Amino acid sequence: MVRQVKQKPMNWVERLYVFEALRGLFTTLKHALRGLLRYETLPTVPYPEMKPEIPRNYRARHRLMLRPDGTPRCVACGMCAAACPAHCIYIEAAETEDPRIEKAPARFDIDHLVCVFCGLCVEACPVDALRMDTCETSYVHPKRDDFVAPMFDLMTWDPKTYPQNDSQSQMAPGGTLNQQALDAWGMKVN
Amino acid sequence: MMEIIESKHWIEWIITIAKFAFAFVPILFILLLIPMERRGAGFIQDRQGPNRSYIKIPYFGRIRLFGWVQNACDGTKLFFKEMFAPAGVNKWIYMLAPAIPFAIVLISPCVIPWFAPMVFEFGGQVIKIPGMTVDTEVGILLLFGLSSLSAYGAVLAGWASKSKFSLLGGLRTSAMTISYEVCLGLCLMGMLLLAGTFRIDEIIAWQDANVWGIVAQPVAFFCFLIAMIAETGRAPFDVAEGEPELVAGFHTEYGAMQFGLFYMGEYSHIGINSILVACLFLGGYSIPFVSMETVQSNLGISLGVLCGVCAVAVLAFLHLLYRYARWYKTCKASNKEVILREYSLYKILGWCAVVVFAVLGVLSAVFIHPEVQMVNGEAVYGIGVALGTALIQILVLLVKAVFFCWVWIWVRWTLPRFRYDHVMHLGWKILLNIAILNLVVTAIAAKLLGGN
Repeated sequence: MVRQVKQKPMNWVERLYVFEALRGLFTTLKHALRGLLRYETLPTVPYPEMKPEIPRNYRARHRLMLRPDGTPRCVACGMCAAACPAHCIYIEAAETEDPRIEKAPARFDIDHLVCVFCGLCVEACPVDALRMDTCETSYVHPKRDDFVAPMFDLMTWDPKTYPQNDSQSQMAPGGTLNQQALDAWGMKVN
Repeated sequence: MMEIIESKHWIEWIITIAKFAFAFVPILFILLLIPMERRGAGFIQDRQGPNRSYIKIPYFGRIRLFGWVQNACDGTKLFFKEMFAPAGVNKWIYMLAPAIPFAIVLISPCVIPWFAPMVFEFGGQVIKIPGMTVDTEVGILLLFGLSSLSAYGAVLAGWASKSKFSLLGGLRTSAMTISYEVCLGLCLMGMLLLAGTFRIDEIIAWQDANVWGIVAQPVAFFCFLIAMIAETGRAPFDVAEGEPELVAGFHTEYGAMQFGLFYMGEYSHIGINSILVACLFLGGYSIPFVSMETVQSNLGISLGVLCGVCAVAVLAFLHLLYRYARWYKTCKASNKEVILREYSLYKILGWCAVVVFAVLGVLSAVFIHPEVQMVNGEAVYGIGVALGTALIQILVLLVKAVFFCWVWIWVRWTLPRFRYDHVMHLGWKILLNIAILNLVVTAIAAKLLGGN
């Protein structure tokens, strides 16, 4: 169905342009004075010295969640790789010595130059092994190959500012807070 | 030759030669305008603007001067770039073209009066020195003639570049200059009619004696301002270098300092035009509600007030500085130590300046009492009073001109560019008619009210 948007025709004062131009000038003057007199309220930040606040639910760099014993939660089912529209996830499955675990990834690479940060891999993961809550939005490497993050890089994220009282999450990596998991695995950590 | 030299007192020669230094005022306006434009544009668009370039001072740290260092960076970069000419250009004209607008900028301020004619007593003689470098009856006509010559730079650049975009840009520049010079002249005529002279200092004297031009001729002022903006080729009238259509217009093929000369020519043209608008419609160097005689007979107090105004301006600057510093102390910027260190330097300098201004102001108000002599029934003072008055008048004129510079920048970053046919329509069918109507009404009113 075509929706017709009716625009109000300009009245003759507006068509004169001069008065509307003066109104525009007033608006820009307000902004200029804001920059001069209330410099600290500018919405931009001086970037490399000051980083913008990135919300926790922003889709940033990936991380792999860990079991309490430090192995990745990933079961190498390949669902994330299947869901990925950019085909940037490469998984090689391998057997494990632990009888309770059927498969584990031998390789888990994410090419961040190809990734479109859509978050479908996180949605697809059946065991909540993959998350994008690292808040790391800019990362620089000297070579293109370095942008392909191997499993080790994805597992070693240091959650400096991760909220302690977040009930939705275990502390990552290491997962000392997930008491349920500890009980189920019958293990002591640290 | 000797007769010409001996016909004037030596002090007259010295001041006359010293007045040539005023040719560089528009160049100084570039230094003011570039940071004002870039940071002003930033603030208008809620950005910060370029503020990163710094000077490293040994044993102290970095100073950024709020982005003023950017001038030096831009200049250095342009200066050391290779001057490159594309194949097939007309070498001589191509090289010559950028120099034209810039050279004209040095010449054209010669008829602008920077202070009221100085009359003072020196060595038993009464000496009279006009406020402009070139004392001529032609006055403003010379200025208009010269400033429209700067269009030749654009036209020749467009022609010599051997590029279609450049040529179109040059064509548009010439068309705009011709169209809007007409409006400019006709808007001005009302003012000239009231003052009855072409000399800018007499126009200012008329405004001082009656009312400012902006009150006497508001319509002319408005049209004049629009035509001026169009004539400098700035937004919203910058169709000559409209990026979406013509790449960069007439200076598409220029780089390095040749482009820099165009750029500087444009900015100093804005400076000259601002001074001109201030002279014609805002009373030039005259101070509102205070006559020149009052200033001269109470020079000590006048200088004291001047110092007071400067001190208040520095205090306002310090207030802003303390605000910024307070914010920087609480923010998380990793370089805040460096910036706070720089700010502490400014704070020390600012407080020193406040104290110096206050002391100077009080001293001049208390100790300066000019001696007056009556020559032919007119009060004549010494050279010190003349120079002091001239200083106050120059500063007043520059403050008014800087306000108009801001208007140029402000308009540029507010209004979108007009389409080319709209510009021509506005120039020929609207502004021109308003200007002619204004002229006729002014002429009738002046005749009926018994003016010139």
